Amino acid sequence: MTVSTGTEAPGVGAPDGVGAPVERTRIALGRPLRAALLYGREEASRRTVAQLALASGAEIVARVRATDPRSFVEAAQALRDAKPDVVVIQGGPKDQGALAELLEALRLGCGAQRPMPRIFALVDTGVADVLRLRADRFEFERFEAAPEMVEALRHVRRGGNEDIVLRDALIEDGARALATTNGTNALAVDVTERSTSLVLARPDGRVEAAHLVPLGLGMGADHVVVRASLDNVRRWLPWPIDAPALLDRVFNRGPATSEASVLLEMALAREAIAHALRDVADAGLDVAAMRSAPAILITGRVASLPKAGQSLLVLVDGLEPSAVSTVFREPDEGRAERIGMVVSVTPRRPAKIRIVRASGRSVAPVAPGSFGLIAIGDDVEVAVNGAGIRGHGRSGALGLLIDARGRPLAPPERDGERIPTVARWHAALQAAADRSAT
Amino acid sequence: MTWRRERWTADHPLPIGVTKRAQVGDLVRAGDIVAAGATLAGALRVPGARRLGLSPSDLDRELRVRIGSDVVAKTVLARVGRRFARSVTAPIDGRLLHVTVDGDLFIAPIVDRWTVRATLDGVVSRSDDAIVEIEGEAWCLQGAAAYGPNAIGELTLGVDGPNADLAATRIDVRLSGRIIVGGARVSAEVITRAHACGIAGLVAGGVPPAGLRVVYGDAVTASGSPSRDDRPTVLCLMGFGSGGLPPAVYGPFAALAGARAAIHTASARLFVFSTADIGRAETPSPDIAWQGDRPAAGPPADHADADTDGGESDHDEPAQTEEELTPSASDRSSAQR
Repeated sequence: MTVSTGTEAPGVGAPDGVGAPVERTRIALGRPLRAALLYGREEASRRTVAQLALASGAEIVARVRATDPRSFVEAAQALRDAKPDVVVIQGGPKDQGALAELLEALRLGCGAQRPMPRIFALVDTGVADVLRLRADRFEFERFEAAPEMVEALRHVRRGGNEDIVLRDALIEDGARALATTNGTNALAVDVTERSTSLVLARPDGRVEAAHLVPLGLGMGADHVVVRASLDNVRRWLPWPIDAPALLDRVFNRGPATSEASVLLEMALAREAIAHALRDVADAGLDVAAMRSAPAILITGRVASLPKAGQSLLVLVDGLEPSAVSTVFREPDEGRAERIGMVVSVTPRRPAKIRIVRASGRSVAPVAPGSFGLIAIGDDVEVAVNGAGIRGHGRSGALGLLIDARGRPLAPPERDGERIPTVARWHAALQAAADRSAT
Repeated sequence: MTWRRERWTADHPLPIGVTKRAQVGDLVRAGDIVAAGATLAGALRVPGARRLGLSPSDLDRELRVRIGSDVVAKTVLARVGRRFARSVTAPIDGRLLHVTVDGDLFIAPIVDRWTVRATLDGVVSRSDDAIVEIEGEAWCLQGAAAYGPNAIGELTLGVDGPNADLAATRIDVRLSGRIIVGGARVSAEVITRAHACGIAGLVAGGVPPAGLRVVYGDAVTASGSPSRDDRPTVLCLMGFGSGGLPPAVYGPFAALAGARAAIHTASARLFVFSTADIGRAETPSPDIAWQGDRPAAGPPADHADADTDGGESDHDEPAQTEEELTPSASDRSSAQR
């Protein structure tokens, strides 16, 4: 990703020091952070710790509820095997006793770990006082609010180096900037080698962020297969492939050079986004707002796919937008571009969508299950209305994508029906691969 | 991927319930038991300091049994007073496992025993209740990923060439306890047969991922899956699928055949304990990209850049130590600590 920190004046860096200095930014993924989550019996407590872990980009290595049915020894062994860097605790006064017991399990399991895990607690002062005693030799920190703890967790990921800007923060800044510019909700979708991020920014600056690790297209590709199952990855490929051959490709992932490897990368990216959404929903974040965001920014490996249509197809299949959205993509080494406008409709019978732009009006028939682009000209302000949808945005290089495939999106199961269907979707966005390359 | 002879470290994580373990400075050989302990079931919490009317910090002084000791039911764990004595007794047979911050005791029944064996000839450089780390010199081949528990055995060639696949028919019980070099590929059938025949471990250029899922389950990833349970041990050298071994990698296997070897699965390394001179075997890294999170096992910092050369062939192997173990830290009472 390119980060502009201002225009560099001519002569900067010259021996005579002519020109104004420009601040340079170091962007990094940060240290992998292994987090164990200890939480109270309430569902809200579970969601809070999940949100904290997702927002901070920590890898969740253990989850232990206050009412966990595992025995004391099993809980201690699970924590020892997890080797956490930090232990995130959240719970109310009713959970105090159970959380104190879990801290004893932590003492038994991780007391000899070097370096010792740090305990970050988002609890009341009274609960913190009790838990601090149980923490014994572990470093115990209490936080008043979730954002403080997220910042502290990120500080750990930065290794204490404040000069480093984490990629997560950059994605959040991008989403926030897009939301402010458009005056609407904006979603940033980032898929990298080992992480998948979904960041929803609102015009008032609030952000809901989820950075899932490890779940990506390189080192995290095998984790996508473990989570999504092989069949769910395979269903996006427009050619038949048996499970062993697909596994070989996933386990030996290298750079996507051939058309076939690009299509495999697209399949993995769809599932990575879909599973990130599942975790987001599980953590109680606003998935509906993410799906209906009027502005969507794609970054990372998905934005770097060779064709804009491929990026757009991955997005609509993985995210399943539910409204009218303008889609941008910004490759790591390139400029942001507006690639298209997605109109998601779920008509039960053939319907019509009225399209209004400066040059006139038109009507597009929409059949249930249809999926295709309407060429409308580069970067045109468009308003759509009809078939239960209303909205406006700007068409990008690809035009207007009418997606009437329905939600939830499910390709046919049998190969005989699935392959032509998926191939048709690829062809509709000029994202198809050369079959001979497979 | 390169054969290198230098000093390495190998860590051996310990489960909860350690009874005895080797101490820092002890000389060990690969295969020696470096730690032993008990597998524990659900623990019972017994009031300690409260029952005795003590502050938690004073409980240690009154304990009659060391933490980590085996106890039988009704054993007096702690006692205060003379004329009006108060005591805490063990409610069950088991292990006095843990003392809480507020002075309660956890006692857990013993359901099994476990041992952890060294995977490196050398000296124990760290030893605590969580880990035993050994530092020693050996020939080493870094693999891409490893699965299953650590394995120790005699290195044996199972194929006739670097590009040959290991056939299931070449595996039988006469090879029990050995580490078999399987050439370019070992299949799931070979892995399961080898395990059934008591083969210690398999080393191959590649293993089909589908086969790995058959043997280790659908959750298996390219990062490997070290474990402690009774499962086959497999080391993938080049990657996944089939990977013919470069001559510079395969050649030394012939020279080292018959030597003692160990597979350290957490770091995906094959250690071979031999003074044989296999020359400076250098090969470029394979094209297969693999960048898993490497566990903490590697050459010590001061030896990390050490070159391999034949001049080290006169290395003396450390003498085998007696399997006499010293009590673990948790065997001692807090007061002694």
